[in-house]
Amino acid sequence: MSAMTLYVEKNSIIHHMDPLTKLMYVFVSIAATYIVPVHEFVFLTAAFSLLLIIIGKVFMKILPIIAISIILIISIIIVQGMFHPDNKTVLFSIGAITFYQEGLSYAVLLTVRVINMLSAFGVLILTTKPDELIERLIKKGMSPKIGYVFLSVLQIIPQIRATMGKIADAQRSRGMETEGSLIVRIRAFFPLIGPVVLNSLNDTRERAIALEMRGFNTKGKKTFLNESREYPYRKIIQFLLIAILMATIVWRVLL
Amino acid sequence: MRKRSVWSLKISTAAIVLIPAAIGINYLGKLIAGLLKLPLWLDSIGTVLAGMLAGPIIGALSGIMNNIIYGMTVDPISTVYAITSGVIGMGVGIMAYKGWIANIKKAIVIGVVVGFAAAIVSTPLNIIFWGGQTGNVWGDAFYAYFISMDLPVWLASFGDSIVVDVPDKVATVIISYLIFKGLPNTLTNIYRSDNEIEEL
Repeated sequence: MSAMTLYVEKNSIIHHMDPLTKLMYVFVSIAATYIVPVHEFVFLTAAFSLLLIIIGKVFMKILPIIAISIILIISIIIVQGMFHPDNKTVLFSIGAITFYQEGLSYAVLLTVRVINMLSAFGVLILTTKPDELIERLIKKGMSPKIGYVFLSVLQIIPQIRATMGKIADAQRSRGMETEGSLIVRIRAFFPLIGPVVLNSLNDTRERAIALEMRGFNTKGKKTFLNESREYPYRKIIQFLLIAILMATIVWRVLL
Repeated sequence: MRKRSVWSLKISTAAIVLIPAAIGINYLGKLIAGLLKLPLWLDSIGTVLAGMLAGPIIGALSGIMNNIIYGMTVDPISTVYAITSGVIGMGVGIMAYKGWIANIKKAIVIGVVVGFAAAIVSTPLNIIFWGGQTGNVWGDAFYAYFISMDLPVWLASFGDSIVVDVPDKVATVIISYLIFKGLPNTLTNIYRSDNEIEEL
């Protein structure tokens, strides 16, 4: 039963960075590409995000993440390229299909923004242990209850997936059809989801009792299992990120 | 015990533990819909159930956290729609509290209302982030058609979202309603913060 995370255990400078700094990077780099609609700048930002991924030694892992969004990217290129309201200059035609320069130029901008968004997230999620990130957030003042919710989801989903496998086998052995017409498939939905939902809701009751017994609701100051460690260049990078964000806003205003 | 408002921020432990379960159920719905090759996402059943069981605040929290976690573990794009999911959970929570889950016809109304609310929230996000599309083939075909009719981008994008969201949310709410009605009372009572039942 594998935990649900995209984290890749490697030894790189990116892995040793402060999770909060990486979180800030995600926010700043995505915001920057949307604040400044200049092709060169957006390209540069995306390239920098990909560079961080390469430094983090996780380049191969970002490809499947980008692949998930490939339909969105194709749709952006086709729809904007063919139907963008500002379309005037014909770039090329394939039969009855005509692509326009204005639309395609906008589509390229959007696509690179999407790739930057995915890569910036990749920098965070591929190189940061979820529990390390959550612990940093709690130390910064996030409610430990919210932290609990985040971390327990990562454990519950593999459990649910396992239960789901068992129930699907059980129902199939009792003659449930999972293939055929739409009606047949819709009918199969309830026997599959019903028992798992009931199971997981039942579990919540027991889990709630267990948590209360361990002082989940106590008001006192909570201590941490892991000692907080010093992260390299934390202050300077955070300062730079804020400065960059300010600069992009100024740039946009002056543009 | 004093009767508390449905908006009370004092949340019971059971309600907090409901959030991860709801997120798990969301994931499960998507998994089964994919397994059975259904033409819908059905990825917010848990959020809707959480809204029905524990009210708007837990519903909204389940929705928001669902998309953040999904973004952190599978598909970063879904983080963009965290607000949409929050609105879905909150909408269902409010309407369920006002008595709109009395029968299946009323439940369908919840689905339509929530579908429209989701589309209204998604449209500006779609326009800002991807120039108006949703990445859903059917919706985007509509978008392209509307745009080629010289309709404004916001209207085309709204149409795109409606085509995708309303049927999905109606189906989701109907499924959640049927599951909700099938749950034993001992289970449905523990999450509410507005009734007379002793807290856990």
